[in-house]
Amino acid sequence: MATTITKTETFVGKRIRRKEDPRLITGTATYVDDIQMPGMHYAAILRSPHAAARILAIRTDAALRHPGVVAVFTGKDVEGIGPVPCGASLPGLRVPYHSVLARDRVYFVGHPVAVVVARDRYIARDALDWIEVDYEPLPAVADPEKALEPGAPAVHPEWPDNIAFTYHQEAGDVDKAFAEADVVVKQRIVSQRLIPTALETRGVVADWRSGEKSLTIYSSTQIPHLMRTLVAQALGLPENRLRVVAPEVGGGFGSKLNVYAEEILMGFVAMKIGKPIKWIESRRENFLCTIHGRGHVDYFEIAGKRDGTILGLKLKLIQDLGAYHQLLTPAIPTLSVLMMPGIYRFRNIRAEVIGVFTNCVPTDAYRGAGRPEATHGIERMVDMLAAEIGMDPAEIRFKNFVRPDEFPYATPTGLSYDTGNYATALEKAMEVAGYHQLREEQKKARQEGRLFGIGISTYGEICAFGPSPATPAGGWESATVRVEPTGKVTVLTGSSPHGQGQETTFAQLVCDELGVDIDDVVVQHGDTAMVPYGIGTFGSRATAVGGTAVYFALQALKEKIKKFGATLLDSDDVSFSGGVCICNKTGRTVSLAEIAAASYRAAKLPPGTEPGLVSTYFWEPPNFTFPFGAHIVVTEVDRETGAVEIKRYVAVDDCGKVINPLLVEGQVHGGVAQGLGQALYEQAVYDDNGQLVTGELMDYAIPKATMVPRIETDRTETPTPVNPLGIKGVGEAGTIACSPAVVNSVVDALSPLGVRHIDMPLVPEKLWRLIQKGGQA
Amino acid sequence: MKISGSYTLPAAPERTYALLQDPEALAASMPGCRELVRTAEDEYEMKMNVVISSIQGLFAGKIRVADKEFPARFRLLVEGDGKIGFLKGEGVLTLSPADGATEVHYDGEVQVGGMIAGVGQRLLDATAKYLIKRFFEKMAARVEQPS
Repeated sequence: MATTITKTETFVGKRIRRKEDPRLITGTATYVDDIQMPGMHYAAILRSPHAAARILAIRTDAALRHPGVVAVFTGKDVEGIGPVPCGASLPGLRVPYHSVLARDRVYFVGHPVAVVVARDRYIARDALDWIEVDYEPLPAVADPEKALEPGAPAVHPEWPDNIAFTYHQEAGDVDKAFAEADVVVKQRIVSQRLIPTALETRGVVADWRSGEKSLTIYSSTQIPHLMRTLVAQALGLPENRLRVVAPEVGGGFGSKLNVYAEEILMGFVAMKIGKPIKWIESRRENFLCTIHGRGHVDYFEIAGKRDGTILGLKLKLIQDLGAYHQLLTPAIPTLSVLMMPGIYRFRNIRAEVIGVFTNCVPTDAYRGAGRPEATHGIERMVDMLAAEIGMDPAEIRFKNFVRPDEFPYATPTGLSYDTGNYATALEKAMEVAGYHQLREEQKKARQEGRLFGIGISTYGEICAFGPSPATPAGGWESATVRVEPTGKVTVLTGSSPHGQGQETTFAQLVCDELGVDIDDVVVQHGDTAMVPYGIGTFGSRATAVGGTAVYFALQALKEKIKKFGATLLDSDDVSFSGGVCICNKTGRTVSLAEIAAASYRAAKLPPGTEPGLVSTYFWEPPNFTFPFGAHIVVTEVDRETGAVEIKRYVAVDDCGKVINPLLVEGQVHGGVAQGLGQALYEQAVYDDNGQLVTGELMDYAIPKATMVPRIETDRTETPTPVNPLGIKGVGEAGTIACSPAVVNSVVDALSPLGVRHIDMPLVPEKLWRLIQKGGQA
Repeated sequence: MKISGSYTLPAAPERTYALLQDPEALAASMPGCRELVRTAEDEYEMKMNVVISSIQGLFAGKIRVADKEFPARFRLLVEGDGKIGFLKGEGVLTLSPADGATEVHYDGEVQVGGMIAGVGQRLLDATAKYLIKRFFEKMAARVEQPS
């Protein structure tokens, strides 16, 4: 045997730069719009300018006469396909039929009415102007509370109350808790509609091979396999005749955790015209037609004792659903209810959820999906209770945290928190921020008349979605690890990462288990023809669930490697580490590459062993994971302009064991940026007639680089027993933690004026008016 | 969007009232107006080029005059649509004599939809004010010509 070198370098836990970045930052990655095919045609979609209207007539002949136009399809052409699927179910849920193109009625501005197919995309767009639609405008309603008022326009005429569902959850003895309370604080809190604004808008390419009777759909999606199953059903196509590919995906944040009309529609068009078809969503379409996030009006009541003990919480949650259910629309507010208790010990909870139809684009999962709204609510209410009884916001939290010896902790909403060290995270954040010093500084600032605030948010969240019984489509994940004949390693993951960095973190796992170099590992994903099946990337699950599947696949593979090693070394006592198999008796070694070659050459197979080194594992998680942390934000509000300056941003996050600290920090940075967006800048505004007023990036303010402060990140590390890697997930933590920390800080800054709550976004105009009126709203 | 304001035209209310309902005068004074045809008593059809922000397009619409109280007031109802969206509005014009001239006070509400609402909203207010000002300036110039 050749001399082999045992590899001792480990990768897990190190700050490894992302393997995917070179192609992303050099512009050489392949997105949907980069795909070109011979004979490709282009689609453009005519959309309703009305929030509610009857379609009296559609005339397409002028468009069809336009040179280069190949076809125009309207609602009557697509009656055999669809509907756009809703994957969530709730008792008594009203599910409107969501046709792929509008039939006799439109329900929101942007509702697709017709699709034009042309030889180039400019002709397709121009031809939209030649389609004539006679609309009879109808009254519309865009505000969920107005939609509940008697006599409000009915979004769907069959349900005049506009209620899609109600949902009740209760635990403990809420009435007793409120009766025994020294203090009850009530507040209406709005979590405004947000537009996810992925850098890459959606896009679909569909390619029908009539000879093979097979369709390939390239889509900018987070869930290629679920899309295959659902789109095959919608098109009436056998699932094994459909391949879905998610090429490079430029951000999703939940907005691409969906199956949209366009994916079904482009499949239909490709099959009709027998040519590849491409549709790329414009930014304006993205704002009008891709799901929005949040959209809550929450009525909270918190009951407490004068000593700071929280006794109970009541919530009436009004969820603006929009006109239809997209894939998970009605499920999102139920996640808010699950997370309502936060990380506190009180047991008495009552939640009433009302899902309301409005003439707006549907809401659905957006980074955090239900948990940011819940965390914002509980963290604001805890602060308001503290203010009411004159207690420091840190102290009230310490008093109410679930304690480290209470885990696993059964929450009143039915979850089992895995592990937590909530006080430790807050103590660390206070230490990093210099909390007590900051309070001294605040006293001084207030004496000088400055509006100086300190805000805390101690969040908990649900990650690693999730155990299958608790999810609509299965919550496991698949992994295949294959050592090629040359010893290089290929990983196929069913999670479909799109910026989260699993091509790097999964490679790190492989390196440590197989003793190979990081450049010898390629992680592939996003193609249903390549990966057996997968659930996808959302809910901070890809590493905690998908990575664990990789880990288990590797364990099985190592057993097989040892069998081949033992055969090659003619030994019955071998071990495998650092990339070599060693005979424990003779000390002779054989390398992984040699074992791989022998396994495929298969000249001498170990007893009962198949050739090759391939291992596939589908891992079902026994529980969610529950990361947590503490963010502290220091702000100063300018009295003259109302502008908020973020003076310090301290983020201490505990996501369990960390594979790559660089990526964890990156996730926290990105998450905080989106949380700041909600807290300070962003708001999707519909006018009374259901027109989206914030229709482009000139009107919808996402934070620019200069608007994001330096973020001081730190960590505590409380592993989870839910998976053998001890990892919890961190994709949404920053967003969930950020907005209440910022709002708590600004309310603290304005509290000398008597301000006790402000709804997001905290734009200068709103704060300036408050300051001018001496704090009175 | 609510629109209100006033402008003084250098003519007596009777003449001002007539001019404000004269298709030819209206067509000449409305910025972007391509065509204005009287289709019935107090009803007109109009084609107008609208420019807001980065978008522009042709609007086809109807104008109706109602609640006429010569020479003091009338109501104007407008609706139109085009490739860049639609608009619908109504308002009351009140004419009061002012030293041989006429103060025209207008008070109305306009609703827009489609791309003009999504893209042009932030400029709508300013654009409407500008268009109204241009309209009255042109009207004033016309009034000063001998009739």
